[in-house]
Amino acid sequence: MKQITVSNVDKIYNPTKENAFYALKQISFEVDAGEIVILKGVSGSGKSTLLSLIGGLSKPSSGDIIVEGEAIAKLPDRLASRYRHERVGFIFQSFNLLNGLNVYQNVMAPLMLSEWSGSQMEAKIDQALQIANIAHKKGQKVSDLSGGEKQRCAIARALVMNPPIILADEPTANLDTHNSLMFIEILKTFKAMGKTVLIATHDVLFEETDVIDRCIHMKDGAMVV
Amino acid sequence: MSIFLSYEIVVFLMIEVILLVLMSIAQAAIVVILRHWNFEASSALQYRLEKKNYLINTILYFTVATKIILFLFFVQSLNSLSGVVPGAMCSAGVVGANVYGNLLLLLKLWLIFGFGLWLIVNKLDLAAADFPYLKRKYWLYTSLFIGVVLEFFLEIAYFGDIPLNVPVFCCSVVFQAPKLPFGYTQEFLVGLFYALLGVIVILNVSKNAMASFLCNVLFLFVAYYAITYFFGLYVYEMPNHKCPYCMLQKEYYYIGYVIWGALFLGVFFGMMPFLVELMTKKPHLRLLKFSTIYLCLMTAVCTFYVVRYYMMTGVFL
Repeated sequence: MKQITVSNVDKIYNPTKENAFYALKQISFEVDAGEIVILKGVSGSGKSTLLSLIGGLSKPSSGDIIVEGEAIAKLPDRLASRYRHERVGFIFQSFNLLNGLNVYQNVMAPLMLSEWSGSQMEAKIDQALQIANIAHKKGQKVSDLSGGEKQRCAIARALVMNPPIILADEPTANLDTHNSLMFIEILKTFKAMGKTVLIATHDVLFEETDVIDRCIHMKDGAMVV
Repeated sequence: MSIFLSYEIVVFLMIEVILLVLMSIAQAAIVVILRHWNFEASSALQYRLEKKNYLINTILYFTVATKIILFLFFVQSLNSLSGVVPGAMCSAGVVGANVYGNLLLLLKLWLIFGFGLWLIVNKLDLAAADFPYLKRKYWLYTSLFIGVVLEFFLEIAYFGDIPLNVPVFCCSVVFQAPKLPFGYTQEFLVGLFYALLGVIVILNVSKNAMASFLCNVLFLFVAYYAITYFFGLYVYEMPNHKCPYCMLQKEYYYIGYVIWGALFLGVFFGMMPFLVELMTKKPHLRLLKFSTIYLCLMTAVCTFYVVRYYMMTGVFL
């Protein structure tokens, strides 16, 4: 079953000006439910822009992005926020955690916008912390964590709403080899959970693992066949 | 001295000019949106229009809300001008200073109602996933924009034609014998007022939007005369003071703002469900509850003055 369909997507910055920049050119591909796909390319090739479009963080200049049958590029801002909250988990290169809070509170943050009861929230947070292998640090402030631990906290936060889609933008760029391999291990859990995962990366470690279903190469905003 | 040197008028007209400029910018963009909008398309033009739509909505939300607030400032300014216009003791003298005054006030009231309708339809449009009422709400805005341009020129004509060296008529006129519509007596008018209110409450409770709309339009006129020619007498505690404006003054604790404000809000919420349904083809009946609340509040305040006067003096005026 096709979960994500991207059709003829362009993203142009400053479209009406002389310095118009084509960040994406006629991108089209499909991703099945439960598939783990890598977007590969050098810096500036359009990987992050594409992830932000699929994640509903920005809108294309033209083309369609259909996620689970819904044209998310057409969603009004309010519904796009709900889409991001309920259906997408984000993992960023620089983690984007709330430094003043501890691990538990960071993972709880997305749930604060939901209507779960206290005990339901607790169960969801504990489960996400277990999957990300960071439960033992749940009382610790994130500013005191190592890079690998911060990334696992970010993974737990991305999972806590149980979204069907996980988008990861250069998730191992700030990690050493050991922690990068741990991240790849967690991908296997994602696979077992049936999550659809898109990873923008140029880390060669991903090429050596069999958990990846497909690799999409990008160059200068276009897909390379 | 020119009335345009009055600081209330300077501030008022400056804000009006700013709003008119913003609304003109929005209107220009709306013409493009109305011509090319196709939500099904995923072309570059459609995405640009969708982005522009957010900008336009923000501008319009701000300007429309400001226009509604500015109406209160306009009413307050008329009151202040009574100190400048010779012969005027309250807004009645200022509004009646030339032929444009009452026309302008009436136009402003209808525009406020129109803006209120626009805000409701806009809210429903933004709540949906596919902007289902976008074209209708922009056609409504376009008609309101024409009204706003007309209003601006009427304001210039009105303020420019207020005589500052010839005394104007004021409450001296309204102090005279009552001029009730269709030769009605005061008792009949008050009876009609309470009967119509009762009917509106029943219609609102039974959620009959169309009948409530019609009754509210009728009630607006009946209530205007009832407040001016009956309840006002008890507010002023004078048998011949039949002025709709004096109760807006400090001497009467600004109670006119509560009475007229509640009346207009009540009538507005009573009219809107039917008009919103006309525009969206979907019932929007929960506003009727607010109509009942505001109209009952207005009636309670008016009735309080009558009862209080009777309890103090033992007679009716």
